[in-house]
Amino acid sequence: MNDHDVQDERLEAQARRLGARAAERLDVERTAAAVVRRLREQPAATAVWWARPAWLRIAAAVALLLGGDVVYRGVRVAGPATAVAGWEGFNRLSSDQLRALIQSLDEPLLVVPEEGLASSQEAGLEDLSAGQLRELLSSLEG
Amino acid sequence: MAQTHPVAAPLTDAALIAAWQDGDEQAAAELVRRHARPLARFLAGAGAPEAELDDLVQETFIRAFRAVGRFRGQCQFRTWLLTIGGNVLKDAGRRWARQRVVPLDEGLRSPHGDPHELAVAEEVEGRLAAGLARLPRMQREVFLLRAQQGLDYEEIAAALGTSAGAARVHYHHAVKRLKEYVQ
Repeated sequence: MNDHDVQDERLEAQARRLGARAAERLDVERTAAAVVRRLREQPAATAVWWARPAWLRIAAAVALLLGGDVVYRGVRVAGPATAVAGWEGFNRLSSDQLRALIQSLDEPLLVVPEEGLASSQEAGLEDLSAGQLRELLSSLEG
Repeated sequence: MAQTHPVAAPLTDAALIAAWQDGDEQAAAELVRRHARPLARFLAGAGAPEAELDDLVQETFIRAFRAVGRFRGQCQFRTWLLTIGGNVLKDAGRRWARQRVVPLDEGLRSPHGDPHELAVAEEVEGRLAAGLARLPRMQREVFLLRAQQGLDYEEIAAALGTSAGAARVHYHHAVKRLKEYVQ
């Protein structure tokens, strides 16, 4: 086992303990009773899954990149179909446009190609294919 | 010869969910008992202040029970719950930022156990938590689901709506950046 593996294992061991003491102090019975009481007392609210901010952000970026065509497809279609329009937009984007879209999102992001993991060789967005870029965008949802 | 009585197997999460959907409040309570601590660990690891943990755990379960009709068993109930917890924490973070709420310093809690061991454990935990806070959300959640909760990439991918390969990439980057930060 090399130093790299030892460091990884140490980090994972630390992660397994992370939050354990705080969780132990949680009064589970009290929490369960409170949840049941709130479920009984509070009316259910309607969730709108397609209105989540990440989707809106990605849809806006796609619209900016593709111009009026995607605006027409993405905005005119109501509700859940907005997400579908977003994916159609992804398929229409070139590799350069996909890279620009990923870079326009506010979360910092580094990527490596999956086949490069064993050697831990890092790569940038420019090394990914269009398919890999689409996969990466899909992973940003939510 | 003493007679042995068959021990009833504990109900599965799926059975408890079905019972809750039929109006059995105790089934909901049992799901909370079963999953509240792993959820609290996940939330604490993702940066939730301890003073807010109970509220965040409650809110996560409320959202999960309200939305359980949309749970299709694509992953374990617990994994699905943890991803909802991530959304709840994100929303709470926005709310705290708007209200400029500063959570109580973790050091203000009354300590339990050996003070030196606690101090060391808290220092290590604090460095890791600070490193996690610097990661993009997807990397942070994939790291916690994998390293803290022990889930495999297929399960993580199903919960987060991505591929196992993408989850592996996020994990790899999280580990790399955390090592730089923690060590």
